[in-house]
Amino acid sequence: MSCWLARLRKVCVVAQIRFIPGWRKSHKWHCFKAGVRDAVPALIATGTWGFVTGIALVKSGLTETMATLMTLLVYAGSAQLTSLPLIESAAPLWLIFAAGLVVNIRFVIFGAALQPFFRHMPWRKRMGLGFFSTDVSFVLFMGRYGESKERGGADQLWYFLGIIVPGWFAWNGSSLLGIYLGAMVPASWSLEFAAVLALMAIIVPLIQTRPMAMCLLVAGLVAWIGQPLPLRLGLAAAVVAGVVAGVATERLTERAKTS
Amino acid sequence: MTGDLHFDLYVLGAIALLAICSFLTRAGYFLFGDYFPLSDGVRRALRYAPTAALVGIIVPELLPWHADTGPVFDIKALAALAAVALYWRTRSSLLVIVGGMLAYWILRLLSDLVS
Repeated sequence: MSCWLARLRKVCVVAQIRFIPGWRKSHKWHCFKAGVRDAVPALIATGTWGFVTGIALVKSGLTETMATLMTLLVYAGSAQLTSLPLIESAAPLWLIFAAGLVVNIRFVIFGAALQPFFRHMPWRKRMGLGFFSTDVSFVLFMGRYGESKERGGADQLWYFLGIIVPGWFAWNGSSLLGIYLGAMVPASWSLEFAAVLALMAIIVPLIQTRPMAMCLLVAGLVAWIGQPLPLRLGLAAAVVAGVVAGVATERLTERAKTS
Repeated sequence: MTGDLHFDLYVLGAIALLAICSFLTRAGYFLFGDYFPLSDGVRRALRYAPTAALVGIIVPELLPWHADTGPVFDIKALAALAAVALYWRTRSSLLVIVGGMLAYWILRLLSDLVS
């Protein structure tokens, strides 16, 4: 019973407020809010993507129940969307699994970068933070703390939570909305394009340095040429090429400075 | 439930496997990262991964390439350019979405009028 109460109290803390005076003024709440604030433009992207994904799930032949299950359990838009044509053509399950892994491989890269900030935590919390991490949480978190020497502070944890908690609700809320209301939105609105624009709204502000611009150019070119490749390998190739281009430009710029 | 037990089980299997994919790729490094240390150089390189990945998702949407017809030019690319230009002027992420969507609707209207 007391364990249950403690848990409820924890929920109140995470869902913040009122029950504990002073929480609103605390440093943790401040960091949480900073995360939420930075995540707002991305939440629009997340919401649009979620909505469009929800529509796609039911339009491709999944029942509402299955689509709901998939959204809540998988929580990975690109993997879900990749699996749809495979499910429609009754592809073998191992192929769906492999395709899901390839599309999700970026999370391994993100996890490797984020892990040093949370390594001190017990494994259950690490597991939770990992499973609920997103592309957006990586981009924003590394943008803010990527260069910081101090790692593992409470401010970092709460900033991260400020990104992933609203992200989970935005994604699943909008996905469910798409699943159950999607049929009513006319296709002529071309809402799927808003999802692309929303992703652009994340990238464009990041292009501040020459290596990042080179990364964008090369990744874009490879992604364009690589489209006919199966299993979205073009995407994987674009990631590799973009990273190589970024690092090479960084090295060349440094060499030009030192010599 | 579709009533077709075989199909339901197949979809459930796919969902379960995709959930495992998500778990392995997302939580894997958070759990076992200490056993797979990465050098500083690798970490620096990783900063470019998200941009490259998002570009890799966006480009095929803007400039699709169909297997039978080759590269296709779409007014979406023009609308996207307008959205980027709008960001340069205003520094507002929200205007990228709203402006880009408006530009797309206007361009589509124009191309409908021309053809």
